[in-house]
Amino acid sequence: MSRFAIVNPGILTTFQDLGRTSMLKYALAACGAMDQTAVQLINLLLGNQPSAAVLEITLTGLTMKVLGNGQIAVGGADMGLKINGQYGPMWSVLDVEEGDVIGFTKLRWGVRAYLGVASGFDAPEILGSRSVYLRGSLGRPLNKGDEIQSLAHAVYSKRSGKRLPDKFIPKRDMTKPFRVLPGPQYDYFSPLGIDVFSSTVYTISPVSDRQGIRTDGQPVERVKGPDIITDPTPIGAIQVPGSGLPIILHRDAQVTGGYAKIGLLCKVDIDRAGQLCPGDKIRFTLIDRQSALSLLNKQKLLLAEAQIALAS
Amino acid sequence: MKTTQYPIIRLLGEDSVLIEFEAKVSWEVNTQVRRLLNVLENKKHDAYQVALPSYRSLLVYFDPDKISDDGMMSEISSAITASQLQHEPEARLFRLPTAYGGAHGPDVDRVAELSGISADKVIDLSANLKLPIYFLGFICSQAYMGDIPVELQAPRHNSPRPLVPGGSFGFGGPQANILAVDSPSGLNYVGRTFVKVFNPDNFPPTAFRPGDYVQCYAVDEDTAIEMGSKPMEDFIEPFCDC
Repeated sequence: MSRFAIVNPGILTTFQDLGRTSMLKYALAACGAMDQTAVQLINLLLGNQPSAAVLEITLTGLTMKVLGNGQIAVGGADMGLKINGQYGPMWSVLDVEEGDVIGFTKLRWGVRAYLGVASGFDAPEILGSRSVYLRGSLGRPLNKGDEIQSLAHAVYSKRSGKRLPDKFIPKRDMTKPFRVLPGPQYDYFSPLGIDVFSSTVYTISPVSDRQGIRTDGQPVERVKGPDIITDPTPIGAIQVPGSGLPIILHRDAQVTGGYAKIGLLCKVDIDRAGQLCPGDKIRFTLIDRQSALSLLNKQKLLLAEAQIALAS
Repeated sequence: MKTTQYPIIRLLGEDSVLIEFEAKVSWEVNTQVRRLLNVLENKKHDAYQVALPSYRSLLVYFDPDKISDDGMMSEISSAITASQLQHEPEARLFRLPTAYGGAHGPDVDRVAELSGISADKVIDLSANLKLPIYFLGFICSQAYMGDIPVELQAPRHNSPRPLVPGGSFGFGGPQANILAVDSPSGLNYVGRTFVKVFNPDNFPPTAFRPGDYVQCYAVDEDTAIEMGSKPMEDFIEPFCDC
């Protein structure tokens, strides 16, 4: 097995995979990595199933020591990956050996980095997923002194040094507007409110987490609400509570809620939202469903192409 | 004034249809939601993925690669028609042993004061309620129950308690719940059952289903704790509205 000892877990490091979406029927949050494109790409790079468990490292700070040789790859946020003090490349298969120290030194971009290992991490599987879900007490964050390991002893020599071709590396340009489809309570908002929603530059609030990404900026005006008869809250739903400030619900969000939802973030922008950092400035723009579906198809095709390119 | 025709059916996001029945919290309206859910679950069209019920609406996820928008809308319409003839599965009653008052029911006195009845009366009334489950929601399969009688309908706390233990039974206005896991909550908590109503080691993690009934009957603390080690399935009885 590849084994690692956690020297410093940083602010928050958890196991994540693609979540427990099949549990929606039982009203359990979908959970899973906030940036799932990044997770799938590093898993494909390592020769894993796209849904293998990885580490989600939040903001900065993880340091771990290698106890047993293995292959790793890091993607998502750029946190200044260093191996034994030397900068290591992201989106590349890196061989690590007993005694190596893997660390992250400085957040340069994004908010969540993903570290995968060949064969995937041997994290406890709960209700069909290895994703930690803090609010539901499913699993826990990593602590100093924890030892973690891969599922199997897997070192694929032909993958050593393999790089993800540039065209597949997700471009997370936060200056581009976040695309939105009308939400179930779109008509609770005044024309002025809709206009404010789609023209205001919102700043990501520090009180954001895996459940909701909160914003500061100009409040959105309503004609009804904010309270509604509790109804389903899909991932990406943008709810507007009494404050008038939009909140993007993300992977750990409650499955039902009682605030009016002005919009639903398009699926292609959900992973990008998962990399929003407090202080980032964003804009929302409303698009139509056909455009959203065609963007989604394009994204699926690109991932399928990556899967083929990284198959061996 | 224009009257709204229910249900309202519309596409939402890339891959779901939202069906909304009359905008009120009522068992009758919710029955339409549950019947429609049953029809869709039994039929399982190729493109159908999962549906999430709530008080008066159902969100149906589908695979847009497997069916056209028009096709999905017409599937839903015929399911609604079929659901009007549906009978529901026989209702079940979960009788859960519950410790009332003291540390397990910190709001008994508040409810008593607001309702103008004694604390004992609050416990007695609460312990005899058979409350219907409208749907499972929020986090961790939490049962949303309703139909709290007017005499117990105390308003929620203005600011929620930061952490209420899992298993706590409480209500605010006509709504009630049993917390699935330790959570912040603004309801008035009168008792606690130690039976695990959410257990991630099991699949499914809860035995509650929308349409079931729950009674939190009163036992002493020791009995509540001792009986709490049994699985929740052990507490199911046929429901009798009597």
